Amino acid sequence: MRTRGAILIVNIITGLALGFTVANIGFGDYAELNRMFTFQDLRMFLSFAGAVAIIVVAFAVLRVRRVPGRIHAGVVPGAVLFGTGWAISGGCPAIPIVQVASGCMPALVTLAGIAVGIRLCRWANTRYLRIDSGSCAR
Amino acid sequence: MNDYWPWWAGAAGLALVTINYAIATDRSFGVSGAWDRVLHWRTERRVERANAQVTDDAVLIEALAAATAGPLGAPPLTPAARPSGSGGAGTPGPDRQPPAEASSSMARLLPAPLVSQVGLLLSILVGGWVAAVTSGRFQLRLDMGEGFRQIVTDKPTEMVAALFVGGVLVGFGTRLAGGCSSGHGLNGCGRLQPVSIVATAVFFGTAVLVSFLLWKVI
Repeated sequence: MRTRGAILIVNIITGLALGFTVANIGFGDYAELNRMFTFQDLRMFLSFAGAVAIIVVAFAVLRVRRVPGRIHAGVVPGAVLFGTGWAISGGCPAIPIVQVASGCMPALVTLAGIAVGIRLCRWANTRYLRIDSGSCAR
Repeated sequence: MNDYWPWWAGAAGLALVTINYAIATDRSFGVSGAWDRVLHWRTERRVERANAQVTDDAVLIEALAAATAGPLGAPPLTPAARPSGSGGAGTPGPDRQPPAEASSSMARLLPAPLVSQVGLLLSILVGGWVAAVTSGRFQLRLDMGEGFRQIVTDKPTEMVAALFVGGVLVGFGTRLAGGCSSGHGLNGCGRLQPVSIVATAVFFGTAVLVSFLLWKVI
């Protein structure tokens, strides 16, 4: 299952399932998201934390290999920026796609911002920051 | 009252998606990483071609090693050159396995193909659309909903500005941190990787802080 075609098919299935699941949990709903982050409603938080708990057990049982990664200089400042942006816009990189898919057109602005931010980060990192951030998901 | 999934169904769904991906591809997925590669597709295409060349060279070296080890009676040099059967260890000949094992182990170190990242992003759109339509939540609209109006702003210009700035912070931040809620949060924390645990704690903690500020102060 590791040829290019197979990986493409797995990615498509994963994307379909991820989009369907994230939308049905309610991550695309700004009010729900704010209720999660302010602990008014733990439903979405438990969805995420419960998923992580299941994955930890499953990966340990299946002996899934780790991906190379280390705590580099960009992790904490990057995570602070991401958390701030997520709370303001209601979008992590997958969520605005789901918002657009449900008819919420302003999420296109969030997507445009994400695209600018991603390109800006690579440009700034190449020219100035020079952090070897690697990637957790390649 | 909403009609969203209960927490346990959401947890099971997210876990299934992540576990299936890891089993099927021996990789982890990340949406910000996919965005990054798709947005820099020219560079990524060049990297992909270079990687393909390196992999081809590795396969060629393995094949040559397997071919020369046979006639010379030398022991297998690599796992790829081992005989397929349990008997006849070191037996040279045509029943040797091709160097698929070595090329496979090399290929799994490479990033997922660029086209698969495009597929991931587009299929999230389709999956989200199916969910919205089947649940009756699909609605074309030009605002972010009542929650955004109450908590952030009800002015269209300010909404656009907030979404754009928020998006830039998300894009810049996820790439600086090396991942997002799927890459670090699900895949990385699932593997108990320290970098992902730190990143997830920080981005979640920051989001909590900013959300309280938006809700109670601003």
